[in-house]
Amino acid sequence: MRRRSPARRLVTGLVLLAALVFFLFPVLWMVLTSFKSNPEFFAYPPVFIPKSFALTNYLNAMRLPPDGRGGLQGVRDSLIVSTGSMVISLLAGAPAAYSFARFRTGGENLSFWVLSTRMFPPVASALPLFLVFKSLHLLDTHWALIVANTIFNLPFVIWLLKGFFEDLPAELEEAAVIDGTTIFGAFRRVALPLVAPGLVATALFCFIFTWNEFMFALLLTRSDVRTLTIIVPSLVGGHEILWGQVAAVGVVAIIPNILLALLLQRFLVRGLTLGAVKG
Amino acid sequence: MALRLGREAAGARPRAETVRWSRRTPVLMILPAVVVLAAITLFPLLFTLRLTVLSWELTTGFPPQFIGVQNFVRVLTQDPRFWNAMANTGVLVAVGVGLQAVIGTGLALELNRLRRGRALVLSLLLIPVMIAPVIAGFQFRMILNDQYGPLNYLLDALTFGRVRGFAWLADPRVALGAVMATDVWQWAPFMTLVVLAGLQSLPGELLEAAEVDGATGLQALRRVTLPLLLPVIVIGVLVRVMDTFKLFDIVYQLTGGGPGNVTETIAYYTYLQGFKFFSLGYTAAMSFVQLVVITIVAQVFLHYQKRVRGGAVA
Repeated sequence: MRRRSPARRLVTGLVLLAALVFFLFPVLWMVLTSFKSNPEFFAYPPVFIPKSFALTNYLNAMRLPPDGRGGLQGVRDSLIVSTGSMVISLLAGAPAAYSFARFRTGGENLSFWVLSTRMFPPVASALPLFLVFKSLHLLDTHWALIVANTIFNLPFVIWLLKGFFEDLPAELEEAAVIDGTTIFGAFRRVALPLVAPGLVATALFCFIFTWNEFMFALLLTRSDVRTLTIIVPSLVGGHEILWGQVAAVGVVAIIPNILLALLLQRFLVRGLTLGAVKG
Repeated sequence: MALRLGREAAGARPRAETVRWSRRTPVLMILPAVVVLAAITLFPLLFTLRLTVLSWELTTGFPPQFIGVQNFVRVLTQDPRFWNAMANTGVLVAVGVGLQAVIGTGLALELNRLRRGRALVLSLLLIPVMIAPVIAGFQFRMILNDQYGPLNYLLDALTFGRVRGFAWLADPRVALGAVMATDVWQWAPFMTLVVLAGLQSLPGELLEAAEVDGATGLQALRRVTLPLLLPVIVIGVLVRVMDTFKLFDIVYQLTGGGPGNVTETIAYYTYLQGFKFFSLGYTAAMSFVQLVVITIVAQVFLHYQKRVRGGAVA
């Protein structure tokens, strides 16, 4: 490694410090706001540090109108929909990924078709889905959102896991097959445990994609199902905006994301570029 | 290697059922996924195609009417609002993603110099990437609030009143910039992540050779590092181009397309046509135009993906 002059190192330090301030300040501001009373929000000059760090806004936000469940309903619905789509995508996607990786089933065209469905503009599929779910009486149900999100999660799972399986040497599975295991057995008992870390990362990515999803939630649900991403903007649209409480919902909504940013670091490049860059 | 697994199995255990299994299992394994995907993607696609030739206005109550290519004619030649939305989206893609690439690459180069704490700094920088765009929009709505927000206050305080802040979300001169700033804030760290991964896979000898040959830091960067990083940067940029082309959440939360139509993106305008004006056929035609654009970009992405995977970088 080359040696750096102290001045150059100082520049690096300052640049990164400025970057951290810039990229974390909006998040920090939301956290601070979640503890502010309404007069504190509307003060000028703005209050940076709220007087009390009581959880009043959080407790009130969980009991928000119209039905008195508010934030709590958001947490529940976001959890159900994210978990549901994740499970379906993994169940259907993992065997398919293995088949693509080991047997090139359907050739390159089929696997590229799978990937291209992931690029679909959601606004293009929203309208047909809306009409179908309406006629099936599935609007405003968890199923509507689970299915809609699977459009993006399933190709993601297939494409990412395909890369993980391809990284695995085939010898172990071949040995298992020679010893009399079926191909499915080799997949389930040999290959799958070996890609376990990648599998967990893929699952968590799916979870977060659905957790963050907004357009389908906006168009396919109304009142029975309200994810956290729906609750936040709906509260900002009203007449009297209780900023502290909305911010509290916002903070609750980003807790899993922050945890996963720390947990997933090894896999982030791969997940976010659809496996194009391995890192 | 692909077929070897099946063949060797057949060779070792020459029973008929083993051979049959090895041919059928791979197909059975992709079947559920292909069926599910076909149902949830091919169906909407065909449905959309069918809608594009209809005039179907839910607000009027008239039954759908066949009008041929008129919806496409209207989109492409008679709807200035569509082209306004395209232009706004184009600015967000060209300038916004450009900024993300420049800021992201710059930060990656600095981060690569850091000896300790690199992983921690990167994790913290990536928080914006992970959170929901709609929540990012909410955060910026508070920060950009012209009366109570911290940005205008800090501008005022740090310049002793010489710089006046804007009504960022209501002033047509800066509103699109505010949307762009939010998107750049959220995704510049993504480019940092991608470029850093590229940097760490570069062979160190090349840079040392450049230095031995007397290249200054800047020359080495321009002539050696950046050209080698280019494929990775292109991959990152293409991912961002596809996402930004679909930008909706931030606009919805931040400006609702306003003031006027200055921040209306193509996804947002399509949403209005479909779910506020209920022009189903017209919405389908607009969706289809976007689908074509996305498909072209996606093809380029796939092409690059193959090159990067086959090549030396990352």
